[in-house]
Amino acid sequence: MSLDYVKFSNGFEKFMPKEYRDMVEHGPFGKKVSVSQVGSFKEVLEEHPMCAGCAMTLFIRLAMVAFPNPEDTITVGTAGCGRLAISQAAIPFVYGNYGDQNGVASGLSRGLRLRFGDKPKDVVVMAGDGGTADIGFQQVLHSWFRKERFTTIMLDNEVYGNTGGQESGMTNRGAVLKMAPLGKKFEKMDMLQMAKVAGCAYVATVVPNNPRRVESVIKKAVLIAREVGSTYIQAYTSCNIEYAIPTDKVMEDAKTVENDRYQFTEYVSEEAKQYLAERYGYKEFLPKPAAAIPNKA
Amino acid sequence: MYLVADISIEICAAKSCKLCTQYCPEANTILYSEEMGKDQGFKYGSAYVAVDRCKGCAQCVWVCDNMAKNNAIKMIMIDQLPKAALTDNITYGEKSTTAVLASPVVG
Ligand SMILES: Cc1ncc(C[n+]2csc(CCOP(=O)(O)OP(=O)(O)O)c2C)c(N)n1
Ligand code: SF4
Ligand code: SF4
Ligand code: SF4
Repeated sequence: MSLDYVKFSNGFEKFMPKEYRDMVEHGPFGKKVSVSQVGSFKEVLEEHPMCAGCAMTLFIRLAMVAFPNPEDTITVGTAGCGRLAISQAAIPFVYGNYGDQNGVASGLSRGLRLRFGDKPKDVVVMAGDGGTADIGFQQVLHSWFRKERFTTIMLDNEVYGNTGGQESGMTNRGAVLKMAPLGKKFEKMDMLQMAKVAGCAYVATVVPNNPRRVESVIKKAVLIAREVGSTYIQAYTSCNIEYAIPTDKVMEDAKTVENDRYQFTEYVSEEAKQYLAERYGYKEFLPKPAAAIPNKA
Repeated sequence: MYLVADISIEICAAKSCKLCTQYCPEANTILYSEEMGKDQGFKYGSAYVAVDRCKGCAQCVWVCDNMAKNNAIKMIMIDQLPKAALTDNITYGEKSTTAVLASPVVG
């Protein structure tokens, strides 16, 4: 993983498929690209079998545009819908058993540090709400308590989408699903609070109906995880199949849910603020200048 | 046959806000061309759809109608499009892309 792996092997250029050539010549590797430039450069994500109009797909697409150094990034995933797309990108992807993702990412990020020292190599976990808050819960929490330096992203569609509609810990109370016909009896888990208690340096909620915000949140989370500690993003990424949302209303739903119960929230630890300001020039986290002393004369 | 998104160059090129490019769930599907539009005398370039990648969700239609308020995108049966952009005929440049339009339906 470096710019060396996103180039042609000598003599092979003319035999490579168009998509590959476009990726090498006009992909985001080694450049700074932003969400506002999409449509003008070749994105790393290729065609994949996720459902038409799925908000999770949109989020994954935006996240991959936002990775600060895509050529130095490895994604880690697990069973669930998201891996169907995450695995189809020009970014190495590691797939463990269901729920293993934060254990795998812990080992991976430590190994990369041993091998590459201070040169940043970013590890980003993207898994469903079932994978993160139910099956992988123990490994997720422990990786946070250990302050493992990688980013965990929950693709929260509030259901087990890939297996046809079972309730998860992140499903809302009362929600009726195909395989929860009596309605969920318990509250949605408060993973945000748990992330803070476990010591994450950055915790944010985001909804993909605001692409620039997705970009900003991903960048901060990945940068902070390089040195400061664990970072957690919880993204509302509706399942239009299990919640029967017409595909042309997916963004309307995202907006409604954002206003209703998924408002943007962001927690940045003091150490992370200082790091972002000093290392990456984030002006909003510079210490505020002491208030000017009023001139009494 | 199935529906795909079709962007009216004339309507888009009057505004060309690029919002739909950021909201399509599929990557490399709604692209932007500086030339398309300008070469027809409009002020800006235009967004366009690589129809072989479009999954027909119509999210872009909602975004153009409700967020951009420009109503430039319609869903059309793919065999009703005489010519459209296809991934094979798209060239990436420094800041924009160009497409040679071709019949999307073979045979
Ligand atoms: C150990 C194990 N148990 C069960 C499964 C079957 N399985 C595959 S995906 C999935 C649910 C995924 O739900 P979630 O993590 O919320 O992701 P989503 O599909 O909703 O994105 C299950 C139960 C599995 N792959 N491995
Ligand atoms: S089942 Fe739901 S979450 Fe999975 S790809 Fe389809 S719409 Fe998306
Ligand atoms: S949202 Fe509408 S006006 Fe804006 S770029 Fe897309 S088609 Fe053009
Ligand atoms: S219909 Fe859906 S997949 Fe097709 S271009 Fe529009 S947003 Fe993209």
